[in-house]
Amino acid sequence: MDGTNLSGKAVGQPIKRVDGILKVTGRARYAGDFIVPGMLFGRCLRSPHPSARIVAIDTAKAKALPGVRAVLTGADVPDTLYGRMCKDVPVLAKGIARFVGEKVAAVAADTLEIAETALELIDVQYEALPAVFTAEEAMQPSAPVVHPEPVELLPGAAAGIHGELKMYPPIPNVISQLNIGHGDVASVLASAHKIFEHRFAVPAVHQGYIEPHTCLISVGTDGLVDVWIANKGPHIARGHMAAALGLAENRIRFNPVVIGGDFGGKGSLMDTLLCYHLACAAGRPVKMVMNSFEELTAGNPRHSADITFRTGVDRDAKLLAIEARVIFNAGAYAGFVPVPTLHGGYGELAGTYRVPNCAIEVLRVYTNTVPRGHMRAPGAPQVAFAVESHIDMIAREMGIDPVEMRRRNAITDGDLTPLGDKRKQLRCLETIDAGARAFGWDKPKAAGVGRGISIYEHPPGNFGRSTVALTIGADGRIVIQLGSPDTGTGFHTIAGQLVAEHFGASPDEVDVTQGDTLTSGFEAGASGQRLTTTIGQAIAAAADKMKQELTTLAAERLNCAPVDIRMGDDGSFSAAGNTIDRRTLMSWAATRGRAPLSCQGENKPGPTDRTSFAAHFAEVAVDRETGQVRLRRIVTAHDIGTIVNPITHQGQIEGGLIQAVGQAMTEQIVLKDGAVITAHLGDYKLPTVMDIPILETVLLPGGGGAAPFATTAIGEMSNVAVPAAITNAVFDAVGVRLVALPISAEKVLDGLSKKAGIA
Amino acid sequence: MRTIKLTLNGSPISREVEDSRLLVEFLREDLKLTGTKESCGVGVCGACTVLLDGKPVSACLALAVHADGCAVTTIEGIAEGDRLHPLQEAFLAHGGFQCGICTPGQILAAKALLDAKPHPTRAEIQDWMMGNLCRCTGYYKIIESIAAAAGVE
Repeated sequence: MDGTNLSGKAVGQPIKRVDGILKVTGRARYAGDFIVPGMLFGRCLRSPHPSARIVAIDTAKAKALPGVRAVLTGADVPDTLYGRMCKDVPVLAKGIARFVGEKVAAVAADTLEIAETALELIDVQYEALPAVFTAEEAMQPSAPVVHPEPVELLPGAAAGIHGELKMYPPIPNVISQLNIGHGDVASVLASAHKIFEHRFAVPAVHQGYIEPHTCLISVGTDGLVDVWIANKGPHIARGHMAAALGLAENRIRFNPVVIGGDFGGKGSLMDTLLCYHLACAAGRPVKMVMNSFEELTAGNPRHSADITFRTGVDRDAKLLAIEARVIFNAGAYAGFVPVPTLHGGYGELAGTYRVPNCAIEVLRVYTNTVPRGHMRAPGAPQVAFAVESHIDMIAREMGIDPVEMRRRNAITDGDLTPLGDKRKQLRCLETIDAGARAFGWDKPKAAGVGRGISIYEHPPGNFGRSTVALTIGADGRIVIQLGSPDTGTGFHTIAGQLVAEHFGASPDEVDVTQGDTLTSGFEAGASGQRLTTTIGQAIAAAADKMKQELTTLAAERLNCAPVDIRMGDDGSFSAAGNTIDRRTLMSWAATRGRAPLSCQGENKPGPTDRTSFAAHFAEVAVDRETGQVRLRRIVTAHDIGTIVNPITHQGQIEGGLIQAVGQAMTEQIVLKDGAVITAHLGDYKLPTVMDIPILETVLLPGGGGAAPFATTAIGEMSNVAVPAAITNAVFDAVGVRLVALPISAEKVLDGLSKKAGIA
Repeated sequence: MRTIKLTLNGSPISREVEDSRLLVEFLREDLKLTGTKESCGVGVCGACTVLLDGKPVSACLALAVHADGCAVTTIEGIAEGDRLHPLQEAFLAHGGFQCGICTPGQILAAKALLDAKPHPTRAEIQDWMMGNLCRCTGYYKIIESIAAAAGVE
């Protein structure tokens, strides 16, 4: 299964997506498309204050409105707090509201219109309390404390983290403090040839999925709770829901739905618990859909970050020591994040470089602002922007070409990452060179045109449980049952291709299904570019068992011992000159009551020394009169393994890249007095089809991933480090260094004016 | 309440609707045609794009009564039985979608273009599709799909 002996029918082929016809005909059913008899519409009232005591809530008028079936406030719901790691999120605010947009009351009514009208009839009296908005202010001794009560943690906070982790240390509002590193940074910095200190800021951005958070809950007369929810990991979500409600997991059924984009934002329960309580109070099913205003003001966007570096280099600009600190603003609740600290925030803070001495500190801090959650490669885009800008600034200040700076310091095969993880078969230099060649790094350029580079390394996720079930019926067709939705990445299609490859079959002979949480095996879902690897392992394990069963059957049919059976590349079974294909074999098995055959397989999570690597090159043109930056061209170069499906592989590259372009050029959640004021898709600017640069992708195949058929991950590779390539290009064009995202004409013009002033 | 008469995906229908009923609610809730998606609700994202007498409109901004006397085309109405529309075939073959939530709107917007101008340039395709957001694809394969359906380079 090393990817060198493929059938040519399945893995590597541009197969059309298994969910394709449903999606192009409008028949794919997303959570919002489900309607159950008697269904009500749920809406919630949100706090207009960043920090306030709820003095009184009068719901009498709302309750009296015809068509209203239930009205709930904090007093009507249990005290249980929800969290994927830190349990701090109430179902509805109880006594205190901690951000503008926090839910304080909710209504279920016959129509959406009645529910909205009822919200206007609820009278809430608030007493404003002191509030704090920036992480820096929140850590001051005099700062208002956002969560004065101790927060309960799910066990296993420090699992997988090899540093010193303190949860809720004695610093005001700090959720977690992680210190990690090696060597002797202080003394190396003291004797370094030069020291560089830089500071960067990255704002919160929204995941930008086009399908808003949606849930529909129906509580059956037998107590079985049916859930239709836009959630990427139904098995994990069911566990959290059961724990929060005190129900057995098998009394909750998450039904299969299609997900309209995730990008990390659809792993939490969001309104699910509230929707359940409304359904119970009304005695009817309830559907809740967040509108786009709520998504932007009260969703769970990416953490904003403040990042500082102190780095020492030798005369040749080789990195000697990095001291780095990142402070993440977590907003009012930590419960949307399933980990104690953002892994990318420390794991990738010192980049893809040989750093013999390293001291990293990562803090997550509560403020009275919108709670932050997970967005693709959590923590990594923020710190990658910072470190790839920082390295560029060092190169420029030392008069070294930015590509040469990376070549000089990038880790190569057998090196350790800055945190001491081993990496094998890493082709950083080859990938940088291939990208630079395709880009024309050394070619002459016009005035006002600039070029920049950034690099990024990230291993495939080999964590979390993946379970699959295979069934072969009397007709020889193979069914794979998966336990989580395809959030859009194409993983259902890839699963079908991997299954087909194991049996020498065409993907047409495989049916890909998703079970509900009562019938399917556990699947942790999309996360950390893991699925191709983890599903690949689970499928290989199930296929091995299935092949043994088929071999036993074939031996019986061909009157020989199982050891004499050979499985051919086309999936047929042979012994002593006799051959039988799978379909004929299963048809025969059916006459003996031996079909269908079913086998389960599970992955084997563990550390990996294989990784994925990318180098990005951007070209911009800057208008010196207006400061306007036009992104003209990007070359993205990738060290890859076996491609399972070239269409979905390239789709991942292009989609991730344009999200990064959004983060670089236009996207920003803007806060004013703690409230999100980019509350409309006209103000929060997602990239449109007019904003995309000319794109060239360079692939270096043969990298040899660790997963079956030598596949590896592509998911986050074109996304994370791209913004720094663009800001580095702006510096190259006009000498203006942008240390805060997004790029704006104002910032560039301001930089040009300051330069002119100095000159 | 008033009665509206329209041609929906080629078939005449007549329905009573509230004056304030949005076209997207009329399609999704009253007619159970959930292929039309609602996202931003303010006419920015294009997910709810349907055709009214061949012209693309945001069904989240239009009232159902606006459709009175019109031909309304939704994603459910562009294939002929099992035979997909060339745009649907092209989006499938060229990977013009991932999660699929914006796809009905993308395909209908593109159909309006190709019905009016069967062989647009890539620049014309790009300009026309500006009103339909997609967060998954980065748009490259959407342009490629539309160009392929139109048979242009």
